[in-house]
Amino acid sequence: MNTGWLTLAHWRSALRDPGLRLLLAALLVAVAALTSVAFFAERVERALQLQGAALMAADLVVEQGEAIPAEWLEKADALGVRHARTVTFPSVIIANERPLLVQVKAVEEPYPLRGRLQVQTPGGAAARPPAAGEAWLEGRLRDRLGAVIGRTDLRLGELGLRAGGVLLDEPDRGGNLFQLAPRLMINYADVQRSGLLGPASRVKYRLLLAGDADQVVALRAWLSERLPQGSELADLENARPELRTAIERARRFLSLAALCASLLAGVAILLATRRYVDRALDGAAVLRTLGMSGGAVMRWHLGQLLAVVIAATAVGSLLGLLGQQALVAVLGDWFGESLPLPGPRPVLVGLLFGLSMAVGFALPTLLRIGRVPPLRVLRRELEVQGLSGWLVWLLAAGAFVALMMWQVQDARLALGMALALVAALALFMLAGRLLLFLLAPLRRTGGAAALGLAALARYPQLTLLQLAGFGLGITLLLLLAVVRVDIIETWQGSLPPQAPNHFLINIQPDERSALTALLAQRQIPNSGLHATTRARLIAISGRRVEPESYTDTRARRLAAREYSLGFSDTMQPDNRVHAGRWWDSEAARRPAFSVEEGLANSLGIRVGDTLSFDVAGQTVSAPVTSLRGVSWDSFNVNFFVVGTPVLAETLPVAYLSSLYLDQASESLTLELTERFPAVSVLDVRPILAQVREIMERGALAVEMVFLFTLIAAALVTLAAAQVSRDERAREVAVMRTLGASRRRLLGAVLAEFGLLGLIGGLLAALLASVSGYLIAVELFDLPGQVSAAIWWLGIGAGTAVVALVGWLATRRLLGVPPMQVLNSE
Amino acid sequence: MEATIRIAATQLGKRVRMSDGRTLDILTAIDMQVNAGEVVAILGPSGSGKSTLLGLLAGLDQPSTGQVALLGQDLSTMDEDARAALRAGRVGFVFQSFQLLPGMTALENVALPLQIGRQRGARVQAERLLQEVGLGERLSHLPRQLSGGEQQRVALARAFAGDPAVLFADEPTGNLDAASGQRIIELLFDLRDRAGSTLLLVTHDQQLAMRCDRVLQIEAGRLQAGS
Repeated sequence: MNTGWLTLAHWRSALRDPGLRLLLAALLVAVAALTSVAFFAERVERALQLQGAALMAADLVVEQGEAIPAEWLEKADALGVRHARTVTFPSVIIANERPLLVQVKAVEEPYPLRGRLQVQTPGGAAARPPAAGEAWLEGRLRDRLGAVIGRTDLRLGELGLRAGGVLLDEPDRGGNLFQLAPRLMINYADVQRSGLLGPASRVKYRLLLAGDADQVVALRAWLSERLPQGSELADLENARPELRTAIERARRFLSLAALCASLLAGVAILLATRRYVDRALDGAAVLRTLGMSGGAVMRWHLGQLLAVVIAATAVGSLLGLLGQQALVAVLGDWFGESLPLPGPRPVLVGLLFGLSMAVGFALPTLLRIGRVPPLRVLRRELEVQGLSGWLVWLLAAGAFVALMMWQVQDARLALGMALALVAALALFMLAGRLLLFLLAPLRRTGGAAALGLAALARYPQLTLLQLAGFGLGITLLLLLAVVRVDIIETWQGSLPPQAPNHFLINIQPDERSALTALLAQRQIPNSGLHATTRARLIAISGRRVEPESYTDTRARRLAAREYSLGFSDTMQPDNRVHAGRWWDSEAARRPAFSVEEGLANSLGIRVGDTLSFDVAGQTVSAPVTSLRGVSWDSFNVNFFVVGTPVLAETLPVAYLSSLYLDQASESLTLELTERFPAVSVLDVRPILAQVREIMERGALAVEMVFLFTLIAAALVTLAAAQVSRDERAREVAVMRTLGASRRRLLGAVLAEFGLLGLIGGLLAALLASVSGYLIAVELFDLPGQVSAAIWWLGIGAGTAVVALVGWLATRRLLGVPPMQVLNSE
Repeated sequence: MEATIRIAATQLGKRVRMSDGRTLDILTAIDMQVNAGEVVAILGPSGSGKSTLLGLLAGLDQPSTGQVALLGQDLSTMDEDARAALRAGRVGFVFQSFQLLPGMTALENVALPLQIGRQRGARVQAERLLQEVGLGERLSHLPRQLSGGEQQRVALARAFAGDPAVLFADEPTGNLDAASGQRIIELLFDLRDRAGSTLLLVTHDQQLAMRCDRVLQIEAGRLQAGS
């Protein structure tokens, strides 16, 4: 039998099938939503990374104690990677015959490679490095020197300089938080002329690199093989932890929103397929009677499905591209200069997604067609056994998890979503069965409401399918509508308007009381004083810690660096213990350490290990009793390693504190440096502003992605209502024939859908509360708070919206003369 | 005493628009009356418009021209809801394709018109009717668990639930074998005799038509003279 000819012939009628049209629309929206999100998320993520890069002034930075070899610059040139060298060293500058310790930074064009330099010159704002013979002075340096910009001459070693501008912001300044002396920026070419760079001087040479991601990765690999001992490679991944946390959270928000949209679309596909198959069964039975095998009938429909997938993917990807362009147009200003162009990857993602969704969500239901018995031609009411409802949903869930693993590449998120999905389905099925059991007696009565409720009991399979469809839709909407807002608010709340914006470091024990008194007198919000000392990790449970014993660059860097050890009997509020226990007042009297989780993972530290630190020649050892998660983006005083106060008793400690200074109390910094000369005041406002910006943009991007979820949700609701449309049309026609009034039929439908919505909404509120809590705690390391709004919104809006959908779907049927429906049998 | 008119059609016509834009007259200028207690057959070949006529007379569809009065009420002045209210409990139907609701048991299907008409004891009455049509043992069976003949017997029981004043039957034996069809017809006439309902029967079966009080012949959408 020539099935090719039949396929063509069948196509024309198939496209008139409402089920197939709904399936096409569901796939189209799924692919459009997914590719929009993928395109947009990719661009946003790249923009966020660029911003992160701005904090390093580069994509990749090499830092070492000796000059950068020319060979490296040639290699960068060969790969088309832009580069700029900087060198920093402490020195003394003389102006107006006053000497002052400064941190010199010499930079060459085209510094900075990422981010912006901000300088105020007599000629106006500038963003360029200083020219030879010119110097940019940090504001506090100018104040201390009493320098006049454009006129004061400075002397740096043998070099004469003119104060040319005030340095307002340098992008990579945050890279060294513990920079004590004020900044003086000069031209790279002037360094040699200063004659200050002797072999023993404390100089840091940096090579800043930026360019095409692939080329940067290639250069990184090339460099890592040639780095001498003591050199460090830094990229965004191991750059500032507070920024990494913020970007990581923003990325997770986006992924989560995109996953919700795709899951909703998947449910719509599943429901639409069900309707398509229900309608296709009669035709399939006829073909079977005419001698076509079950397999051939199946292949025929599979071909149709494939064609739908290809059409939906092509159009959907195009819509996705346009959709994200619209987003970019709306958000353009938010992303500052320019959002990077999207790559071609999302189109491929769209195609594979469309195909996988069709296979996972449509195929299991489609299999029923191949099983249709020819006898159905005579006995139309013959049921066609398909896979059980459970199995269909589980297969779809499996396909979805596979897609998540591939797309998000976050096994924890994927597994969490999968477990949540299975739990949700189990809950809906159980609740559905219970509902059917409870409704059974209603079949004996005849009121409008009872008539509608009994309809639920009459079509148990449809009821379960609709309950799961509506319920899952409401759950995801609640998650995004309420939990999203809660989590984003909590996230932004973790950085309140009065978050610390200045740090005081190196406070000596004898300055403590005077400083505390000063802060209290001026009513400056502060974190109190935290004891700290510099220490080097020398052994973990007797094993010596050496950078060479680690392969990972982050671990190597961490093994080599000095730490600020903190000492405290209480844990910072933004910390969360992930393993072991924080010490109580009793345990705080015994030596113990608590280690930040990321550091512990990198260096292989576990609870129970004994850590040995070298503090100014003195060895301090204590067991690790807990591992902590730290919200570095909270800007609280935090330490990688905290010890019990008893450890600090024999060690030389200094204190540090964090403060919030508003504009009015900014002059305090000058007073502090005068009264407490050893204390350094660090201004972290630029970093704070960056983190805030990432939070805001992340939140806004999620809002945009949420729109797609709304469209997908509307489609699911439509599909769930359409699933029972044929049965409903027939019921309505028969009941109208038997004399049922419009009011009675609408009452029945409102009762039926209202109850579905009520139960779906109730379960959805429960699921959204639990998963919202877990998402906040497990994925975002934020305190789990879910607002009570979720309950009334879930139940109220769920009931109202689902009842409205049922009412709209039935209202149209009531206008159709019964004869038309009965004749179409 | 003048007989009460149960069904009356005046210049009734039905015109439909084809997919190519042309129009087709299915029924043209039908004038007819059926009196209370009468048993009338509408006889005609396939496609002559007899089922369409039945749908219009029962108020299940709307005419393009003309008027219908059912149980003394002019259907053209009523909306879909009012027509349904008129039918409730007073008009019964038997269809060729049975039109039982697949999710309902035999008992629930028969009780449905009684429940719609808000009659008390719907289930008891339905059970009695099903026993009368010989399905007392199949009350809780779903339509798909019954044979075609049995399904049509359930439909008959449903049609007579609430003792309707008028009964419309559209090719009631069309989907059945000869023996089952014969049993259904006997049952239909038997139940009608007991209820005294007016019966309008659409059929292409000459023999069946001959059992009726009066036969209206329809061809190409027009009633034939003398019928």
